[in-house]
Amino acid sequence: MNNKAPRDTNGEKKIIRGLGFCSTTADSNSVQVEVSDGKIVRIRPLHYDWEYKDLKPWKMKARGKIFQPPMKTLIPPFSLGYKNRVYSPNRILYPMKRVDWDPDGERNPQNRGVSKYVRISWDEAIDIIVKEIERIKKQYGMEAILSQSDGHGETYCVHAAHGTHRRLLSLLGGYTLQTRNTDSWEGWYWGAKHVWGCETNGFMDPVTNVVWDVSKNSDAVFFWGCDPETTPWAFDGQLASRLCYWFTDIGIKSVYVCPDLNYGAAVHADKWIPIRPNTDAALYLAIAYMWITEGSYDQEYLKTHAVGFEKFKEYILGIEDGTPKTPKWAADIAGVPSYTIKALARYWARHRVSIAIGNGGPGIRGPYSTEPARLQVLLLAMQGLGKPGVHQFKMLEWGLYSQKRKNPLPWPKYIPDIHNIQRGWKYTDTPRQFIPKNLIHDAILRPPITWYGTTLSRDYTEQQFIQYRFPLEDAPEIHMIWTDSPSWVTCWNNTNDFAQAIRSPKIEFMLAQHPWFENDCQMADIILPTPTVMECDDFGVEAMSGQFCAVFPEPRAIEPLGESKSHYEIACMIAERFDLLEEYTEGKGVEEWIKTAYENCGASSDISWEQLQDKGYYVVPPDENWEMYEPGLSSFYQDPEKNPLSTPSGKIEFYSERLAEKFPGDKERPPVPHWISQGEHHQETLSCKRAETYPLLVVSNHPRWRTHSQHDDMTWLREIHTCKVKGPDGYLYEPVWLNPADARPRDIKDGDIIKIFNDRGALLAGVWLTERIRPGVIYINHGARWDPIVPGELDRGGSINTITPHKTTSKNATGMVSSGFLVDIAVADLDEIRKQHPEPFRRPYHQGAGLKVDRMLMHDES
Amino acid sequence: MGKVLIIDLTKCNGCHNCQIACKDEHVGNDWSPIAAPEPLTGQFWVKVSDTVRGSFPKVKVAYLLTICQHCDNAPCIDACPNGAIYKRSDGIVIIDPEKCKGSKNCIEACPYEGVIYFNEDLNIAQKCTFCAHLIDKGWEETRCSDACPTGALTFGEEDELEDLIAEAETLKPELGTRPRVYYKGLPKRFIAGTVFDPKADEVLIDAEVDILNISNGKHTSARTDDFGDFWVDGLLPDRYTVIIRKSGYSEKRLDTDITGKDVNLGDIAMHGEL
Repeated sequence: MNNKAPRDTNGEKKIIRGLGFCSTTADSNSVQVEVSDGKIVRIRPLHYDWEYKDLKPWKMKARGKIFQPPMKTLIPPFSLGYKNRVYSPNRILYPMKRVDWDPDGERNPQNRGVSKYVRISWDEAIDIIVKEIERIKKQYGMEAILSQSDGHGETYCVHAAHGTHRRLLSLLGGYTLQTRNTDSWEGWYWGAKHVWGCETNGFMDPVTNVVWDVSKNSDAVFFWGCDPETTPWAFDGQLASRLCYWFTDIGIKSVYVCPDLNYGAAVHADKWIPIRPNTDAALYLAIAYMWITEGSYDQEYLKTHAVGFEKFKEYILGIEDGTPKTPKWAADIAGVPSYTIKALARYWARHRVSIAIGNGGPGIRGPYSTEPARLQVLLLAMQGLGKPGVHQFKMLEWGLYSQKRKNPLPWPKYIPDIHNIQRGWKYTDTPRQFIPKNLIHDAILRPPITWYGTTLSRDYTEQQFIQYRFPLEDAPEIHMIWTDSPSWVTCWNNTNDFAQAIRSPKIEFMLAQHPWFENDCQMADIILPTPTVMECDDFGVEAMSGQFCAVFPEPRAIEPLGESKSHYEIACMIAERFDLLEEYTEGKGVEEWIKTAYENCGASSDISWEQLQDKGYYVVPPDENWEMYEPGLSSFYQDPEKNPLSTPSGKIEFYSERLAEKFPGDKERPPVPHWISQGEHHQETLSCKRAETYPLLVVSNHPRWRTHSQHDDMTWLREIHTCKVKGPDGYLYEPVWLNPADARPRDIKDGDIIKIFNDRGALLAGVWLTERIRPGVIYINHGARWDPIVPGELDRGGSINTITPHKTTSKNATGMVSSGFLVDIAVADLDEIRKQHPEPFRRPYHQGAGLKVDRMLMHDES
Repeated sequence: MGKVLIIDLTKCNGCHNCQIACKDEHVGNDWSPIAAPEPLTGQFWVKVSDTVRGSFPKVKVAYLLTICQHCDNAPCIDACPNGAIYKRSDGIVIIDPEKCKGSKNCIEACPYEGVIYFNEDLNIAQKCTFCAHLIDKGWEETRCSDACPTGALTFGEEDELEDLIAEAETLKPELGTRPRVYYKGLPKRFIAGTVFDPKADEVLIDAEVDILNISNGKHTSARTDDFGDFWVDGLLPDRYTVIIRKSGYSEKRLDTDITGKDVNLGDIAMHGEL
């Protein structure tokens, strides 16, 4: 039938492979790709039982019903429509050089983001790169090269989307690493870890069998800043959606706390609490106030499982600061009526409530996100965290790092793991000089800088107390940037300042490599074309869908487009010039590395290499004993002495002695979590003076129709009205949600193009008037492709991150802030803007995909 | 007997997988004589649309799928002056891309808006084919139902799906077109609100909510929940009186009209009996 393994008959092929976008090798979204005559014909879900008719799914029984994973993968539209990306008019097909950058003459850094490009040959490109590396090594030292090679993207093993050049740079003598600051986990990593340990990420850990326990014992799940119908798409697929329907089916109430009626709330919410962005700390405090004054919390549990509660109580009752944290107090801040807050507090106290989070909301990228994250854990503790039905769990990243303990669903026999084989970045590889990703602009423009912690996701809490600096005393500043994850300008903090940093004369050479001409590529001096996953031979594992785990050889579906070469191949080409090819590849070719991945993934004793080639994939059966494992933190709940947490006291710390000792007087992350309306690092709430000029709050989430910056060019998604808003000029603008109550006084109509602005710059966006966003708040997601009208000042593409807050989470917490901040809006006069800046409006535009590579090409006049 | 598609909107999460899978199958792929290639943009042989129901903060989203209904009594077949449209023995209605001469009569004749599109370049009408070219190769379902992650789409043989069909309805049955597409969970109307006591600054739990249809006198009753909320769905578009009662409080009566759209009555203050 339509399911056979790859066969090259009459130019027809069927390949099973992963098509998820996490990029850490733990993949999902497994698909079957059908190819004919060298072209992809269709992409469809993998049916696990095509080759394994006897495969039995796990069955989770609760309240007289059964939940089991379907026998096909539940891929998102990103994977289904991936042809849009493979064949995008925005593909970079050959190496390019910025026209006014001459490594032997004038470099014109001030023109980055504006200048056009010409095609060059691979030889010429490699020549320049090699010469530049040699020059920089001689003039400054290898550490003058900054590697930006982290984050999400396509998922490979051998041809790794990020970091293949790191190993090479190490062999050449070193480099400076941009370390990724646990984005999407900020408040948990920098905050919650100080409350419950749960190393190294700060979410409840382990979450073994939590979904089953919730299904059996919880009365409600609070989806707090969580969109289970959106954020899991790229990394896990849509099993989370099925779980949401399941919870409703078995009578579990779904309460959503978020400023926007997100896509999960839209179809699943029994109750929507539309809180102002990033004011959740106040809401949590008021709930605690209700419980304390009504005696409706688990006092006995706190005596044996927690420390520091008295000091927390003093803050709640107003003994510490004269302000009791009453519902009325919180109502003013959070915009939730006090009677609703009371009702919520009482409901929570009288029922078994678990909290679902999903890499969104205040616990991640708001100012002072450590506070709401810590408070969430403390409130769960006040209701007996770890007892049946009382947990925290995530709706995505199940089986992250290929670790079973991070999977709250019934376990597979094992999770295949190829992290250690992949030829890109490694969790453990950090050179002595590094810069946290959210401090890059400061590091370039305003050195020296200091901060706390490595920011690496695998590092323990003790790490957060170590201060680092850049540059090191005997190390150079940055003069070259090498990026294979060129999306900084649309995903990070105050990226207008980043654009200025890249345009600084300090940056003598910027090298980018990427399949598509987007975002940071527009500022590079040399751009190298890389292929998509469809064009490389590799090996993959399905590890995060929650349904089954699987392994597959991933032979290429089609030949590489244009002259594209993978990140791994590029590193090999350069290594060869330096006579380091043997060391770099460890003497193995691509095929041997693929074989090594198979031998080490964990499945090699279950299926032979030949059988795997024949069938195209292997599915790991469920663990027969999955029901036996204790759920979540239940062992801590049952015996905290025998099963301590990894905090200094072994218990839940309402007051952190360690924070008090290490950061005395820190008002932005005090020993007891606080509501912080403003501080040294951020003045972004309505009670600040800035709110007089910028009276609206922005909520910026993980996008529905993108994976961060990925997929912004997908033609078939851009036809969806919540994906893009068509302007009068035919341009597809990034949507911004606006409540009619805010539109009326500003004379803004549905479909208008408006300017969103604050003291950090401005951007354009298309209005969707909707009841799905609370008044006083606008909603615009991160990741829209940067299309600068004036780089560093005005963006047409709708990249909200150009104007997000600059500083870190708080003084000593090195996360980033990109949601819950102040702006104002006004109707944009497109005609006027076009008159002042004609060139950006003349750039070639593909009606389906939007920005296309032609726009930046210097066409040969001769 | 023949093929049917059953769309359970109570399970639709609005992911648009169906819409995208359909594009993946037909854009740039030539399946003549069943279907010619669909253009890159502008056509939606299956289309997802959304309706935002209610007003802040009592808001829900309802999704709807628009697709050729493959009617057993299809007006397009007779309307075609070139005999290009035919119904197969399995019930699937096809516009033959080779026989179509671009009269556009079918688009005029079809009572279901937005299911037949016109391809200007090829000068032919195009629409959903229930993936007949795949069915003929042995596929058991369409691309859209294969891609649907929630089980909202069921495609198959009419006589094997009688139970599901019995729970579903067709669109515009009064026209006599006899569609082969069935819908479950088409949205009706709701009335919602929150009941509270402004003096005590508390929501009122377990208050009686009596919803009286003014036209036919029918009562629907509900009680406010732990958040003081009531949210009564499944009502017919009509005019209603909502009566709220709680002992110790004066009864509250509110008139509302949900003929045009759902209504959120907002936060309703109740005052103590004198």
